[in-house]
Amino acid sequence: MTFDFVEPVVFALLSIGVIAGGAAVVLLNRITAAALLMAFTFLCMAGMFVLLGAETIAAFQVLIYVGAITVLILYGVMFTKFSDGPRALFFQKQTPIAAVFVAAVAIPVALFSFTFTSAPPRPGGGDLPALATSVFTDFAFPFEIASVLLLAAMVGAIALTRRDDPEEAAMRRRR
Amino acid sequence: MTVPLGAYVAVSAVLFFIGCAGVLTRRNAVVILMCVELMLNAANLALVAFSRKYGSIDERGSVFVVFVFVVAAAEVAVGLAIILSAYRNRPEVNVDEIHQMKG
Repeated sequence: MTFDFVEPVVFALLSIGVIAGGAAVVLLNRITAAALLMAFTFLCMAGMFVLLGAETIAAFQVLIYVGAITVLILYGVMFTKFSDGPRALFFQKQTPIAAVFVAAVAIPVALFSFTFTSAPPRPGGGDLPALATSVFTDFAFPFEIASVLLLAAMVGAIALTRRDDPEEAAMRRRR
Repeated sequence: MTVPLGAYVAVSAVLFFIGCAGVLTRRNAVVILMCVELMLNAANLALVAFSRKYGSIDERGSVFVVFVFVVAAAEVAVGLAIILSAYRNRPEVNVDEIHQMKG
């Protein structure tokens, strides 16, 4: 008995999860549910990375997207009052043109994507050694730049959301 | 039989178009950020899939995915900071109503 049927079944389930979750994020009006379904989409995407043999990327995905970014988005949801105006404002008059444009782009993309028929080859031993070798040799400088970018984003986020209350500043000076 | 590469690319394209539709039609700034994250994730899936096919030795595509993670994290942090500081000025997250800086 072979287990060749497992991979397509798992792929089908994960792709249903990804697409349904993404569609729910776009279509749902309850914004907290949309944020949690976004986390579900990211989890299914991590499963797809595992299926592709990129376990390290899947771990990063769970840590960064499901952990950090979802929590940040949920904070954003809680700090702001819910409001969503009329949905179709942007395409009010242009719906037929938009449909033609989307069909013109999406159908060639769909056809093109199915020209890649060969199954992805499986490397042995996971992707961590190759990834680490690339990051710390060829891509060492961009890697350092990325850390500077993260630092700049952190400082920028703190500076943007800091409250400049004059009384508070005076109190801090007095202390 | 295993899953062909085209299936991964197709899922990636579908998710990218879903996110694009969300960015264009939703008016809530936080939801727009979420849809941008969906689009970035779709691009990640395509990158990993092609890296599996063409670069299984040095994993260059996966390195780009790591950089996309970094940029996505920075983008969400700064984007939410901008949304929250605009919200403090005027309690509004509907992007049609935020037009103080419109010329």
